[in-house]
Amino acid sequence: MCTALIELTLWIAIFASSTSTSIGGFTREYYLAYVLWVAFIGRISSSWMYEFRMIEEVESGSINGLLVRPMSFFEYYLSQLMGYKFVTSIFSLMIPLAVIYWMDLPTDFSKVPIALALVVYYLIMVHCLSFIVSTFAFSLTRVHSFTVAKNLALWLLSGELIPLDLIPEPFKSVLLKLPFCNAVYMPVAYMTGRIPRDVFMQGFLSTTLGILFFGAIGWWLWRRGLTKYVGTGA
Amino acid sequence: MSLVIETKDLSRVFVSYEKPEGLLESLRGFWDRKHIEKTALAPTTLQIESGQIIGLVGANGAGKTTLLKLLSGLIHPSSGTASVLGFQPWERKSAFLKRISILLGQKNQLWWDLAPNDSFALLAEIYDLDRKTALMRVQELAELLECKHVLQTQLRRLSLGERMKMEIIGSLLHSPEILFLDEPTIGLDIVAQTSIRKFLGEYVREKGPTVILTSHYMDDIAKLADRLLLISKGQFVYDGTVQGFVAKTESLQKITFSLIEPLPENLQLMDGLELSATQQEFSVEVSSKDLAPILGKITRLPGIHNLKFEEADFEDIIHRFLEKESRVLSPGGHH
Repeated sequence: MCTALIELTLWIAIFASSTSTSIGGFTREYYLAYVLWVAFIGRISSSWMYEFRMIEEVESGSINGLLVRPMSFFEYYLSQLMGYKFVTSIFSLMIPLAVIYWMDLPTDFSKVPIALALVVYYLIMVHCLSFIVSTFAFSLTRVHSFTVAKNLALWLLSGELIPLDLIPEPFKSVLLKLPFCNAVYMPVAYMTGRIPRDVFMQGFLSTTLGILFFGAIGWWLWRRGLTKYVGTGA
Repeated sequence: MSLVIETKDLSRVFVSYEKPEGLLESLRGFWDRKHIEKTALAPTTLQIESGQIIGLVGANGAGKTTLLKLLSGLIHPSSGTASVLGFQPWERKSAFLKRISILLGQKNQLWWDLAPNDSFALLAEIYDLDRKTALMRVQELAELLECKHVLQTQLRRLSLGERMKMEIIGSLLHSPEILFLDEPTIGLDIVAQTSIRKFLGEYVREKGPTVILTSHYMDDIAKLADRLLLISKGQFVYDGTVQGFVAKTESLQKITFSLIEPLPENLQLMDGLELSATQQEFSVEVSSKDLAPILGKITRLPGIHNLKFEEADFEDIIHRFLEKESRVLSPGGHH
């Protein structure tokens, strides 16, 4: 919430000191709406807690209790992540909705459900990334630092820091083709009217490719990790 | 009886690396590491028939838990093959995992923050069990273990003994055909140990699963196992019945006595057996053939009292046997 307030203040200050009423073709209200939605969507589309827990399971050997049961480690944590995000999203969604409605900022509320659907779909890819990081714990210790580095990279690539349409070419085109922009930029830009529907829908395709790509890497690392696993601590 | 577990030259070598002290040495470790290999289980060929109760005994680090982890699919082998109920365990197929259970006495496998009843409901889902049948089974097992009153208390709030009982219910909920029990009574008081031992005895008699049991308490093994596997430094050093083992090993006599005054100097009773001048209470184990001359020497000691001698129990015999085998298997030893 603090970050959102700082960003709101920053955009208000930028427009106050600018001679133009728009930046990159969008007015101050568009940026304020963007920042408010980013504060909400950015929290939903990231994963720290469950990734830390997955790493801890592997490092401490408590994963043994899951490995000897007919269940999937990946699905077990995916279901927990989705359940947690579902509950927290319902409650925290009230805040941006109320503020945007109260400040009369540009948002097409009819686009909110499909934008959120993309975020939920993207969470599967986020979980694939968490799964990859947790498999490093089979051969390394203290892999939590990878989580920090990964989330920092995603923060930059997702458009959470600044709207991706402000980034110069060719970086902008590259970033929009990568699946990471579906975490924040695509859903928020679509709801606030920065991108058309056909560009937004491509987000589902790139997320699917991301899930397949990172899922395959995670599966390979998992198999490799299990061959090295020593069943720690029992 | 059919074979349910079969291994051929199954082995596991753990690889670690030396980490010298200091930051620079840690950094050097990224490109220049000295790897250390430790054979936790030497190539092992084993056959276990359906319904057998195997007591797997060995010192710490002998390879007992490694064997259990391999057979339950927790870890992969370095070489060799294994077939458990017709499956290769480390493939971890659901059909296989639904037919086995492993209880690790030193690890919680139920959910720490949930009440056991909730954990069992979750396990019923995981094992595709009918909810009502699972509930009845929980009640039945809890009654036998005399722990119905704690089923609705958060696991973290239970005593060690109660937690172990909950773990046992969790591991038996799906009626496994093979049960791997790794130190099920470790750390428990005598009352809890006896209660769990009694329960396991009744359970295996009634349901007839194949059981591999490791324990540091020889009473567990002597009372439950019908086949004994002794393991030392990753190798089997005995495979047979408990009675056969006792008969095979040299009969030992345990002599205990006290002295009113300490000895003026150390006294050698025989080769490798010396009484220390600093002690007044003694307990020595000797083979039956040496009993008479040793006893003769002891009774001549001044101020002797509380002299007793009895046949050494199973635990003493095992420890002595494993100690001897461990020396034989040491580098430079021959076997």
